[in-house]
Amino acid sequence: MRRSRIVVAIIAVAIAIVLQTTVFGAGRIEPFGVAPALVTLVIIAVAPYVEPEVTILLGFTAGILMDLIGSGTLGLWAMALTVVAFISSRVGHRYADSIVLSLLAAFVLTLIGQLVYVILGTLFGQETAGEPNVVAKILLPAVWNVVLAYPVFWLMRVVFRPRDRSFVQ
Amino acid sequence: MNRVTILFLALVSIGFIIATFDVRSEGDGVGDVLREGTQSVFTPFQKAVDWVTTPVVGFVDGVSNLAGLRDENDRLSERVRELEAQVRATDALEEQVTQLELINGLEVQGELATVTARLYSGGVSPFDNARFIDKGANDGIVVGQAVIDEDGLVGRVDLVSANDARIRLITDPLVSIGVRVQSSNETGIASGRGDGPLRLEMFRANEAVYEGDLVVTDGSRFPPGLVVGTVSTTADAEVGFVLRSSIEPAANLSEVDYVRVIVGFTPVDLSPGDSEVSSVTSTTSTTTTSSTTTTVPSEDS
Repeated sequence: MRRSRIVVAIIAVAIAIVLQTTVFGAGRIEPFGVAPALVTLVIIAVAPYVEPEVTILLGFTAGILMDLIGSGTLGLWAMALTVVAFISSRVGHRYADSIVLSLLAAFVLTLIGQLVYVILGTLFGQETAGEPNVVAKILLPAVWNVVLAYPVFWLMRVVFRPRDRSFVQ
Repeated sequence: MNRVTILFLALVSIGFIIATFDVRSEGDGVGDVLREGTQSVFTPFQKAVDWVTTPVVGFVDGVSNLAGLRDENDRLSERVRELEAQVRATDALEEQVTQLELINGLEVQGELATVTARLYSGGVSPFDNARFIDKGANDGIVVGQAVIDEDGLVGRVDLVSANDARIRLITDPLVSIGVRVQSSNETGIASGRGDGPLRLEMFRANEAVYEGDLVVTDGSRFPPGLVVGTVSTTADAEVGFVLRSSIEPAANLSEVDYVRVIVGFTPVDLSPGDSEVSSVTSTTSTTTTSSTTTTVPSEDS
């Protein structure tokens, strides 16, 4: 594994966190009041191009950074994104070359990430499961991630496989 | 079990330990230091991206709302005329009240000193009720101060660095506010539910609250009289039972761009989980900001 790939993956996650808290932050691009889960999407998109161990560590690091920037309990996003990264690392090779499977992976894995966070948040006293719009907050990021999946997957493909940019349909 | 699975289980376990530690320490200590450090690393990038994207996002927002702009403009023009009339009437009344207070030897409460700040970063997820503002300790902001906008209470300062601060919105489940229903003067606690209306629990259950009643801060932690919202559900008085209702926040929390932090009322530093109505000491404080110097009387006065 080239070290440059790991560096690129870390930079991609850092950019995603900045965009998540600014462009997709409160009062900005939030269709129906809920923004896409860009950091989760980047983890899913990076997974096919780096080793499974790197993906899992990347998920954990991204999650911890989200926890540190956010106001919730430390470690919750770290666990949720580690779960997403683990599954992505297992199935990443299956959706890497198919646009349809990539969109499906973006939806299902984002949904899993949001769901795990809600369960953990409730266990650790955040009352996330009791929030009034909890279903929308779980479901909509997954839907918006499907919308964003094509450009994000394409970008990762360009970065990690510059000679092979096209998806197999 | 292969290496990947072991790594996965190890990291989940570490996450679990971190979460447990953070809950036990109530967000203080090492967690706070790490949060401040991380935020200070990300802040320059967030501000830069915010500066670049704000016009674009505003343009996209404007185009998507173009159809309703004319109607909205007419409605707002009408509303401005109404409010101008109200302001004129209020000014006259205010003058009368001031004169009466002086005649009767009452202490006249001055305007609270505030610092205007801009929100440059939102939460990391829909479950996150934190917002970041571009003013910090250098501007006189300390943890616990009330944050308002033109409509009412927005939240409280939660974490402060030299030039930035994090605010926790009133909808956060960890925020509780001592409130007073203005029509009845009865007090209670409003607490966040993560989103939407706040939960309202009255201290005395024998006085009903009605839909549309104005709810303001009771002065136990935040300055008294700040508008929190309006009661959204009527709750009848039932002796012996807890009176519960809900409050629709006055501030549109998803559309807040600029806020004012009330620096002229220095509260005691409480951890995020602490209720604002518990063990409160209100003090007389003199705060100097770039614009004003105001003496805020204690609640006893």
